[in-house]
Amino acid sequence: MANTILVLAETSEGSLKPVSLEAANAAIQLATATGGQVVAGVLSNAPGEAAGLLASTSVSRVLTVTDDALASFTTDAFVAAAQALCAAVQPALVLIPATTSGRDYAPALAATLSAVSAADATEITASGDGYAAVRPVYGGKMLSRVDLPAGKLAIVTLRPGSYEKAATNPDAAPIEAIDAAIPAPRVRVEGLLQDAGGGSVKLEEAEVIVSGGRGLKEPQNFAVVEQLAEALNGVVGASRAVVDAGWRKHHEQVGQTGRTVSPRLYVAVGISGAVQHVVGMQGSEYIVAINRDPDAPIFKIASFGIVGDLFEVVPAVVDALNASA
Amino acid sequence: MAYQIVVLVRQVPDLNAARINHSTGEIQFSGQMVINSFDDYAIEEAIRLKEAHGGEITVVSAGPAGAKDAIVRALAMGADKGVLVNIDGADKLDALALAGVLAEAVKPLSPDIILCGQMSDDFGAGEVGPAVAVALGIAQVSSATLVTANGSTLTILRDTEDGKQQVSVDTPVLIMAMTGLNEPRYPSLKGIMAAKKKPVESVAPPAVPASQTTWSAPFTQERDAAGVLVQDVPAAEAAKQLVAWLKEKKLA
Repeated sequence: MANTILVLAETSEGSLKPVSLEAANAAIQLATATGGQVVAGVLSNAPGEAAGLLASTSVSRVLTVTDDALASFTTDAFVAAAQALCAAVQPALVLIPATTSGRDYAPALAATLSAVSAADATEITASGDGYAAVRPVYGGKMLSRVDLPAGKLAIVTLRPGSYEKAATNPDAAPIEAIDAAIPAPRVRVEGLLQDAGGGSVKLEEAEVIVSGGRGLKEPQNFAVVEQLAEALNGVVGASRAVVDAGWRKHHEQVGQTGRTVSPRLYVAVGISGAVQHVVGMQGSEYIVAINRDPDAPIFKIASFGIVGDLFEVVPAVVDALNASA
Repeated sequence: MAYQIVVLVRQVPDLNAARINHSTGEIQFSGQMVINSFDDYAIEEAIRLKEAHGGEITVVSAGPAGAKDAIVRALAMGADKGVLVNIDGADKLDALALAGVLAEAVKPLSPDIILCGQMSDDFGAGEVGPAVAVALGIAQVSSATLVTANGSTLTILRDTEDGKQQVSVDTPVLIMAMTGLNEPRYPSLKGIMAAKKKPVESVAPPAVPASQTTWSAPFTQERDAAGVLVQDVPAAEAAKQLVAWLKEKKLA
């Protein structure tokens, strides 16, 4: 059992979040390389559908913890449920999606179990008898490799979009329910305030999105982004930094706690490409980046990058588009 | 209800002044150290809670002697006193070891509210806050974008992928400040002068904690080989190349 990898899946209103299948795939690849087995755990008030999907991948078995306290996220309930699964499975490694929930309870679980940990990994591999996780540092400009020594439980959160989803396997894995004592969480959930939305075209449905970030320097400078969006028949998006600063509305925010978009064309103007932004747009078919910092992480995922002053480049692009129309 | 508040702060290299040397794959810092940007929101929230409800704010940091600058900045913004746990090489401690050191320093203060940043600008793991909460046996709330206090009960909005989660929690609690929680103030000249008279206690950790994990020096990521990168050309030429590429891909 020393090589067992436990994947803790996340659901949203009973549906499996896609990043859970990515984590399952990372675990399956790792287990294939090291000769271990993968167990998927589902923490939910209604785990049925998610458990079924996970059972149809190459995991060995699926365990469920069902409790009404798991209907919405609290650290206490998720740590308690994860602890019960760890006790049942005795894994060497626990993989958790690096969502806002995962990044909240994974370090609490690690501290509770005195485990070693790595947050927001983009790659997880075997290293000697232990594991190594590659993770972004310095705002995504650089990477670092964290060595997780053998002999200690390792808990790693996996950044969304780092792996493909696990392929289906016709041999369905068995599903078992695990009993867990979930204490009343100290944090009480009172509700979820949905984003009021707005805008004429929803960002998720747009074919072309032109987003602006802090590089625009002043809110009124968003005009250049709007002009480029108009020239490309696209809609305007924004980075978290400019929404926080009050320049743009939250319904335009692309990123981890904003919209997740996958248009045909995504143009990032004056956006450095911090992890929190990239997870919301990396599924775009083509990414164009305009930024003056050649080290900006956005260039690492750009299909077409221009290093330059956006206040010169963007108007020139608008002129060239209008001239060729 | 007046609150006993602790703010955990951390000093980080100034990333705006960092340059990546692509021939060596190394990152070069200016040597300038600054307060972690997320911590500014934590300090500001502590000051607002104190202004509205009364109480006392202690700023706690673990690091080398120079980390006192981060504490002094928080004092200049309006915090009352500081504790520096003097550790050279604190940035080589993993989250669990660092959290153990911080929890030891915080425990005697018996805080009602601990505020810290959601993550650090340099390593960005966001693991220390939860580990401190576990070490102290108190509740934690991450990704906080709004805090409303009413006696011993706090109502907090958390930023999540599905929207804003509204939670309530009783003190003591550890709150991790997300960007946008408030608008952090700049230290005023008066505040900077006043900070010089505020006490900062320097303490040694009871025991030098052992790190279980180690990590490599940062390295650069390979660019996606499929991508085109245009640089050192005039804007008009870059624009022309982009428009030609957009037309080739039938995007314009």
